[in-house]
Amino acid sequence: MRVTVISPDRSVFEGEAQAVVAPAFDGQVGILPRHAPFMTLLGRGELRIKQDGAAHRFTVDGGFLQVVGDAVRVVAEHAKEA
Amino acid sequence: MARPRELRRRIKSVESTRKITKTMEMVATSKLKRAQDRVVAARPYAQALANVIADLYTPELAERFPLLRQPKGVPKKAAVLFITSNRGLCGAFNSNLIKEARRTTADLEARGCQVDLHGIGRKGIGFFRYTKRALAVARQDVGDRPSQKHAEELVEPLMRQFETGLLDAVFVVFAKFNSPVSTPPTTLQILPVVPPSAGKAGGKSSNYILSPSADEIVGAILPLYVRNAMYRALVETAAGEQGARRTAMKNATDSASDMIDSLRQTYNRVRQAQITQEIAEIVGGSEALKG
Repeated sequence: MRVTVISPDRSVFEGEAQAVVAPAFDGQVGILPRHAPFMTLLGRGELRIKQDGAAHRFTVDGGFLQVVGDAVRVVAEHAKEA
Repeated sequence: MARPRELRRRIKSVESTRKITKTMEMVATSKLKRAQDRVVAARPYAQALANVIADLYTPELAERFPLLRQPKGVPKKAAVLFITSNRGLCGAFNSNLIKEARRTTADLEARGCQVDLHGIGRKGIGFFRYTKRALAVARQDVGDRPSQKHAEELVEPLMRQFETGLLDAVFVVFAKFNSPVSTPPTTLQILPVVPPSAGKAGGKSSNYILSPSADEIVGAILPLYVRNAMYRALVETAAGEQGARRTAMKNATDSASDMIDSLRQTYNRVRQAQITQEIAEIVGGSEALKG
């Protein structure tokens, strides 16, 4: 699935990935390919993206996460590569 | 006809001016590049926010959210934030922005609305100081690289005032960055939020699993949307300033070159005339001696 991480001043990450674990407002959510359309608010915490065995980690705070079709869009108020 | 020494002095003076404008042109070009990158980089986020609000927006929601509350009739109290640059030498850039700010303000006041002016950037503030008009906020510290934090500081108090009903509308006057040579001054209403029209993704909201509810998501995202509108206005104006300065300095450099060419031509003509005259005098003198 296609994952993009966008912060207000730039795109932080863009690429194909196998899993996303994000800090939602009420706890962690895991997104795997073929997830149903979904939208949630993000809290503060660590966002992990698994891509071909490697894991990308970001610190995010605020914003939202959206799953549309085969695309996951993380739109964070603050996002920084950890 | 001018004396050669004077012409030489003027040529030298115009040459050194050209050196300065040429340098400023190059500085503006490199700053423009970076500022333009920031404008482009800010687009996906704005687009994502607009899409989500368009997806989730329903007229019923508007009733419940203060930020979406559309005032009935004419707004009674509005704030106009106008952005200008801190530095000059960028052609008509700032005066166009000031003109737009005055037009917007005059429009509102003609309709019986009380307007608070918020100035960002030294040039605009200077103008309104000169006209003795009081500014609610005057900030000169934003500069070339506006940040999220600047936008937040500017817009947060306005959102609170809007929510409590102290303000009925908030407008931003900024330079829209279409391209480095097209930066028209633009007035944008940021409050109440005008719901972005649903694009191709419209009407999908019913299929989403929403957590928490649509209400809460919209409530959390609206302030981000407003803040981002402000941020983009700042970033686009900063880029527009560099574009305008580059154009202005390029024109100045070209004019200086033209001027040097014509001065040099006059100088050479004067110099030759002088030599010719000297020869004629010498010849005349020796003829007279012979005679």
